[in-house]
Amino acid sequence: MASKAQRVPLGLRLTTSLFIIVWLILAAFPFFWTLWGSFKVELDFFSIADWTNALFGPRTQETYGSPFTGAGYYGAWVQEDFWRAAINTFIVCFFVVCTSLTIGTLGGYALSRSGFRYTFWLLIIALIFRAMPPITLVAGYMLPFFEWNVWGILPTTIIVLVAINQPFTLWMLHSFFQNIPKELDESAKVDGCTQFQAFRHVIVPVMWPGVITTGLFSFLLAYNDFAVTSMLLSESNRTMIPEIAAFLGTTYTEGNVMFAVAAVVSATAPLFILVMFFQRQIVSGLTAGAVKG
Amino acid sequence: MAEIVLSGVSKRWGSFVGVDKFDLTIPDREFLVLLGPSGCGKTTTMRMIAGLEDPTEGDILIDGKVVNNLEPKDRDVAMVFQSYALYPNMNVYENIRFPLKVRGADPATHKDKVMRASAMVELDDFLDRKPAELSGGQRQRVALARAIVREPNVFLMDEPLSNLDAKLRVSTRAQIKNLSHELAVTTIYVTHDQIEAMTLADRVVVMEKGVVQQVGSPTEIYNYPANTFVAGFIGNPAMNLLDGMISGGVFTAAKTEITGLQAPDGPVTLGFRAEDAEVTDQGGQITAPIYTLELLGDATMVSVRIGGVLVSAKADKSFRAEIDDMVSIRIPHDHCHLFDATTGLRIGDKPG
Ligand SMILES: Nc1ncnc2c1ncn2[C@@H]1O[C@H](COP(=O)(O)OP(=O)(O)OP(=O)(O)O)[C@@H](O)[C@H]1O
Ligand SMILES: [Mg+2]
Repeated sequence: MASKAQRVPLGLRLTTSLFIIVWLILAAFPFFWTLWGSFKVELDFFSIADWTNALFGPRTQETYGSPFTGAGYYGAWVQEDFWRAAINTFIVCFFVVCTSLTIGTLGGYALSRSGFRYTFWLLIIALIFRAMPPITLVAGYMLPFFEWNVWGILPTTIIVLVAINQPFTLWMLHSFFQNIPKELDESAKVDGCTQFQAFRHVIVPVMWPGVITTGLFSFLLAYNDFAVTSMLLSESNRTMIPEIAAFLGTTYTEGNVMFAVAAVVSATAPLFILVMFFQRQIVSGLTAGAVKG
Repeated sequence: MAEIVLSGVSKRWGSFVGVDKFDLTIPDREFLVLLGPSGCGKTTTMRMIAGLEDPTEGDILIDGKVVNNLEPKDRDVAMVFQSYALYPNMNVYENIRFPLKVRGADPATHKDKVMRASAMVELDDFLDRKPAELSGGQRQRVALARAIVREPNVFLMDEPLSNLDAKLRVSTRAQIKNLSHELAVTTIYVTHDQIEAMTLADRVVVMEKGVVQQVGSPTEIYNYPANTFVAGFIGNPAMNLLDGMISGGVFTAAKTEITGLQAPDGPVTLGFRAEDAEVTDQGGQITAPIYTLELLGDATMVSVRIGGVLVSAKADKSFRAEIDDMVSIRIPHDHCHLFDATTGLRIGDKPG
């Protein structure tokens, strides 16, 4: 039975429930709308005549004999080789996450355990770089990349994304490490560890949720990036996000909107799976500061 | 088995002096206690011995070998931290086993050694628990077990009892005393609790503001404090200290006159312990109205005000009087300690 202190007045309970429901609808609606519409033809989903067409799909019925069609997915994945973009995204994300986590964990640990004053300034500089819009960096990169003939390939993009992402990972991991008492490393060292063994056997296991959380944020940054990938990748090396933009078309080329819609849904699905999978680590990572090690 | 020598060890941060020219030889198997008020440099001294802090000056020798540049892991010391520093992701068994594992002890012997150590501190029932699931006293004992499991040369303990309740403190104190005797290891123990220091130590080092004030056995420190700081720090209540003048062997201060002392004429500080004094109606060396009266159970503490300071004397437990009644305190002159008025240093080796 709920104790007196936990019992919430009915009015307040109704208000909060209502608020949560409204918020959920607002947040989830665009996604479900897109998911539903991705199985329609363009004339239904973007119907000017009647918006209910997007729900019931009369034109889709006319064309394919059923209110649902996988034509958008077929077009994107098979005709337009969207799978290539998916693989590119996977490669970019994998290397961005690995590199920035490696540098971030080692660097964040070193900075958090260093007694020197430059630590503070290093982190402030990192913050300033993080605050600049990525596009300002990219514009400056373009010319030298053309000159050195490294424009358009994946490794270049990975390096630039790591550079943009690193200040954030460094900050985040640094603050995680600072929450771990220094005595823990010192105790490990007295017990017989070298500095690196102390890091490896004692600190990292305690830090794990923090590493996962930071890794996930790096992943999302690389996965969702448009500014860098669209400007630094050649057509054949595009990742998913710029590829979707290309499907939408430009003023010069005609796109296929339904391919884009199907691709958007395809690109969102892995994110759901990922967040569900790491849910527990993320929560404990985000609240790690609240409890003393 | 190890002898530790500190020779002129100092630690400074910028212009701040944490520890100043610490000189001490700690023989093998000694139980040494570092005692002093908060912030006096006890932890810093211990951390320098462990290798967690580099001395600014001076050498640290373990078994005749300078260890200044050795990593903590190569000094063969075990340390119990003020905050325990248990590894939160490992259970009690793994915590205790950790030193064996990283030092590459034969895995076949791990279980025996861990069980022996955990039995010594009565932890057998908790081996599967994580540190977060233990009480403060149990965590304390895990930290102890982790320190004793690999039988180090030197034991360093930094206020290991500070987080325990009074009852557990007494029993764990007894446990530590017994362990150090059983293991016969050189032990350095930091505390600011003088009862702990008195009960555990072979020798006590009293420190203040990074400077060693006195080194000696608990009895020496209690009976012959080297200066006014030690006199005013050790004992409960601490020694009474009175500023006054001495001339021709007679000490005078407000309401006070003590004869039969041996010291050159001039200003001095006179000290005596409450239990060495006697409370009478008249004929004592100090005569003043009672300021407070505390019933302690086994005795009655009578305090009077002399100048700005309170002077206490222990009376019989049946002694009763009212505040502001006149009393006389008799102080045998051979229980008086004299200290230089300016330097605070002791005058003469013996009381009187
Ligand atoms: N890293 C540091 N930088 C500057 N000053 C320090 C540092 N570490 C300790 N100190 C100072 O050195 C002095 C001695 O500190 P220490 O930790 O040895 O005190 P302690 O005797 O152990 O006190 P406590 O009984 O409170 O634990 C303190 O005044 C402290 O402020
Ligand atoms: Mg301390």
